[in-house]
Amino acid sequence: MSKTDDTQTPTTAGTRTGTGTDRTSIRVDDPIMEIRNASVTFDMERGESRVLDDVSLDIERDEILGIVGESGSGKSMFASALLDAVVNPGILSGEVTYRPRGDAEVDVLGLSPEELRELRWEEISMVFQGAQSSFNPTITIRAHFEETIEAHNYNMEQAMAHARELLSDLYMDPDRVLDSYPHELSGGMQQRTLIALSLVLEPNVLVMDEPTAALDLLMQRSILSLLEDLQEKYDLSIVFITHDLPLVAGLADRLAVMYAFEFVEVGPAGDLIGNPTHPYTRSLLKAVPNLDTPLAEMRPIDGMAPDPVDVPQGCSYHPRCPLADETCRAEDPAYHSVSPDHQSACFHWEDSAEAIPLSTGGDERGGGDGEMRAFAGNQSDEPVVSLENVDVHFDQVADGGLLSVFQEPDTVHAVDDISLDVYENDVVTLVGESGCGKTTLGKAVIGAQRPTDGTVAYRGQDIWEAKDSRRGADIPYEHIRRSLQMIHQDPGSSLNPNRKVQASLEAPLKRWEPDMDPDDRQERILSLLEYVGMSPPGDYAQRYPHQLSGGEKQRVALIRALLMNPDVILADEAVSALDVSLRVEVMDLMLELQDLFDTSYVFISHNLSNARYFSGKAGGRIGVMYLGELVEIGPAEQIINDPQHPYTKVLRWSTADLDIEETVEDPPLRGIDIPDPVDPPSGCRFHTRCPEAREACTREQPTLGGHGDGTEHETACFREYDESHEYWDSEPVVEDDADATADDESGSWGHANE
Amino acid sequence: MGTVKRTEETDDRPPASLEETIADGGTIAGDEASADTPFGTVSSGTMSRRDRYEMLVNEWVVAPFKILWSDWRARVGSLIILAYVLMGTVGVRVVDPPRVGEGDRLVSPFEDLSHPLGTDNMGNDIFAQIVHATPPMLEMIVAGAVFTTVMAVVVGTLSGYKGGRTDQLLMTFNDILMTIPGLPLVIVIAVILEPRSPWLVGVIITVNAWAGLARAIRSQVLTLREESYVEASRLMGISTPQIVMKDIMPGLMPYILVNFVNSARSVIFASVGLYFLGILPFTELNWGVMMNLSYETGGALYTWETAHWLLAPMITIVILSFGLILFSQGTDRVFNPRVRARHTSAADPEEGDDDMSGEVATHIRG
Ligand code: SF4
Ligand code: SF4
Repeated sequence: MSKTDDTQTPTTAGTRTGTGTDRTSIRVDDPIMEIRNASVTFDMERGESRVLDDVSLDIERDEILGIVGESGSGKSMFASALLDAVVNPGILSGEVTYRPRGDAEVDVLGLSPEELRELRWEEISMVFQGAQSSFNPTITIRAHFEETIEAHNYNMEQAMAHARELLSDLYMDPDRVLDSYPHELSGGMQQRTLIALSLVLEPNVLVMDEPTAALDLLMQRSILSLLEDLQEKYDLSIVFITHDLPLVAGLADRLAVMYAFEFVEVGPAGDLIGNPTHPYTRSLLKAVPNLDTPLAEMRPIDGMAPDPVDVPQGCSYHPRCPLADETCRAEDPAYHSVSPDHQSACFHWEDSAEAIPLSTGGDERGGGDGEMRAFAGNQSDEPVVSLENVDVHFDQVADGGLLSVFQEPDTVHAVDDISLDVYENDVVTLVGESGCGKTTLGKAVIGAQRPTDGTVAYRGQDIWEAKDSRRGADIPYEHIRRSLQMIHQDPGSSLNPNRKVQASLEAPLKRWEPDMDPDDRQERILSLLEYVGMSPPGDYAQRYPHQLSGGEKQRVALIRALLMNPDVILADEAVSALDVSLRVEVMDLMLELQDLFDTSYVFISHNLSNARYFSGKAGGRIGVMYLGELVEIGPAEQIINDPQHPYTKVLRWSTADLDIEETVEDPPLRGIDIPDPVDPPSGCRFHTRCPEAREACTREQPTLGGHGDGTEHETACFREYDESHEYWDSEPVVEDDADATADDESGSWGHANE
Repeated sequence: MGTVKRTEETDDRPPASLEETIADGGTIAGDEASADTPFGTVSSGTMSRRDRYEMLVNEWVVAPFKILWSDWRARVGSLIILAYVLMGTVGVRVVDPPRVGEGDRLVSPFEDLSHPLGTDNMGNDIFAQIVHATPPMLEMIVAGAVFTTVMAVVVGTLSGYKGGRTDQLLMTFNDILMTIPGLPLVIVIAVILEPRSPWLVGVIITVNAWAGLARAIRSQVLTLREESYVEASRLMGISTPQIVMKDIMPGLMPYILVNFVNSARSVIFASVGLYFLGILPFTELNWGVMMNLSYETGGALYTWETAHWLLAPMITIVILSFGLILFSQGTDRVFNPRVRARHTSAADPEEGDDDMSGEVATHIRG
């Protein structure tokens, strides 16, 4: 199958030039789609921008092909190319052949617009990220289905029956969903509905471009496990495009890694994860935060991904590759076969394992404790900020019309009765699904959100008392305000778009050190910029935010917070919007600066891997939140490796790891959608979804308690109580399946295990 | 040009003043920061006061001007506006005020060089009338536009940023103003006050015109105040007026400017209309008054003979209004950081096409 020679010996690096740039070797036996020499170019003032560079790849019938690449690697362009959907003014060249069953061949790029339109839904369909924008908000879901079916002249009755089947395959109640308007569905349900919609005309190929990126991990994982079922049931070939290697690792049959607008390594998922040979794949595996790799081994990839206008000569990865030599700089490597179906575009693939060692696998979990201490600061005995029984409730006013005055507003219990201490040099990571109140709690910690009840104290001084009675406070409010800072989630809006970096950074200094000489101010800003790796700093200081990348904006936001010399920084999903390979780098930087400036972090994340990395590396804690309550808190490694609360176990399950043996299985959970926070369940709030729930859980609320083993690990679950508790004697909660599907938001997993 | 002049250049000059000498010594470091962190960094040299002013001038005067000039609409628009301003300032000195019987009655335009636009039925030179009507017109326009914008911005931002009770009170008042029909209100006030000063007329015409704009600004402020960078500024303890000035206003500026120009235009039309209808008292020469007279006494709508008397002020108004529209379209760009970046940083001329690469980047991300 392979045309390339895998016989060359590694010692004669200089002579192995014969293969030239033949990259047509990724073939499979029974392709449903063949892509040959596909390129996409844009003409720009600066030159030709090549955002897909001569790629050739086959998609096998009935396989799940995972395409992994960072943003700007050209992976979405590849998806568009498959369907000849490259936006103007991009120019697509090459060949895309679609082979439905039998010998028929369709030249996708040669189709008329009308034929293409038919092909797009009926044979190959596509799901993009951000389901919300794909729906028309003014018509019901049913109308969406009907429109699609009608437009393609399918039999309405049959197709609608199929739609209902698909919806229930995706664990949703077809009647309820079909009659809803898009905004009435949660994000996860919208995304599942979109999948059903894309499958309603029974296509053979489903192309998914980051279909789950906007969703919570738990929902992502749940959708993935559904995808696998769908694939089997309907004989689909799925192309799953993502930046998240661990996410797709367990799902895909084959993986293709993209770098700089071409595929650098393609192979069966097991081989590619177990024995990656391209230096980029190996570095990527090390860079992606996950639950398995020892913390000390995670390492960001140095350097930057290339600009599409100016891709380096020779191997495009050579500026960042530790193995690069003269050959790499001069020549573009062809695919070398690692095994018949595993190809790697690298001259030195045989040496890469040695040069970039990897240790994956479960047995080394939590290893590397020794080096982990690197960043651990000395935590104080006295808390810097201490929360006691804090409640935050929001009144949800309906549409704000005149009549709303007469309505009793719904109260959302964003934070319910939480006590938490943050020490000096501490790292506390709060994890949970969206809407669990973690950001609100974080804001309460830094005094940005006034609690409805309970106290928040800064070094013993009640923050809100200090604010209200400006004079009487032991520690003036001004001082407190200065000591508690925040870094926001979205790099796009964390800096004022109308101010240069310099002006944004000067603001805190002007406010707090008005006497400072302008030159000193300037110098200090420049040296900090340089410190966080933004050089030349003079140039960066004069830029506007739109001239910075996401990672650079987050760095500036970090500096801005640090210029205040704060005691606690709230980092609200500060790395979530960044590319996976950048996350480790930014988190490292944050920890390094913590060491330097003696700050504590309250780090908010929906991602357990990031939490593990951040808290673990600093010897901090992880707190798990569910519906406004803290259900488990403890040292990072303990929470990850020995979760006690059933919910933490679910989160642990939802965090994809690199273990490909472990296929995506059904979650240890009874329902996938979160209950409404306006009306949280009685007793233990998790009882509606908890697999261990018993009668007692519906009546009584467990409190956070230790294990009696002297650690800080605390869990709010009756299963931690001793045997005398009534939980152990009460009946398990059993649900009537029919009922559950009807009134539960989205149905239940109860019958998923049949 | 926009890049900071680094200290090396100034170092070899002897410090020019005492202040610089102190600065040179590198003084006040942060109270809590120690010198071995980037926090403790002190400047090793100094940028002279002049350099700093130069930078400010460059950023706030030269750059915006360059941006304006690079756009043909703004260029034409500002030239037109400039011409009117010249007409109102220099013009009135050069051109003699119109006198009755100065020329023959109803001379057609372009016939007699001493009366380029002809004369009216009393022999007044029409060109002179137009020129001498300019200053009060401009005063009125400025008064009306400034009044509208200032009221709208103050009420809108205050209400949007403060929220709560302030918001409720201001918006109730605002809504009442909005619901009162503008024209009758203006007529009533004009009849009662009989305003003579053009400044006052400008204000009266826009007496409730700002309410709609205030509401629009408020809703924009409501969105802006939720931006992360505004919250960050709040958490840094930066005072509310500072936040409004530095974080909120720049985001609103394009909108405000466009509306400033729009209200200038509506002042022109409203005043001309009111003078034409004879509601405002005839005190000075005015384009509206001219049109009124040409129609009432000259029957300009019916005979070709007096048409130029009506057309001349009309065209004057149209050109000014056109200039204002062009100008407002061009000013939009002055506040766009993407455009600004291109004009202030000489350091990286490559940024020139970053709009484009941004676009491509989004394509790639799909
Ligand atoms: S070809 Fe050379 S530069 Fe490219 S990945 Fe392989 S070793 Fe690195
Ligand atoms: S208390 Fe009951 S419902 Fe709650 S987590 Fe524990 S077992 Fe589950």
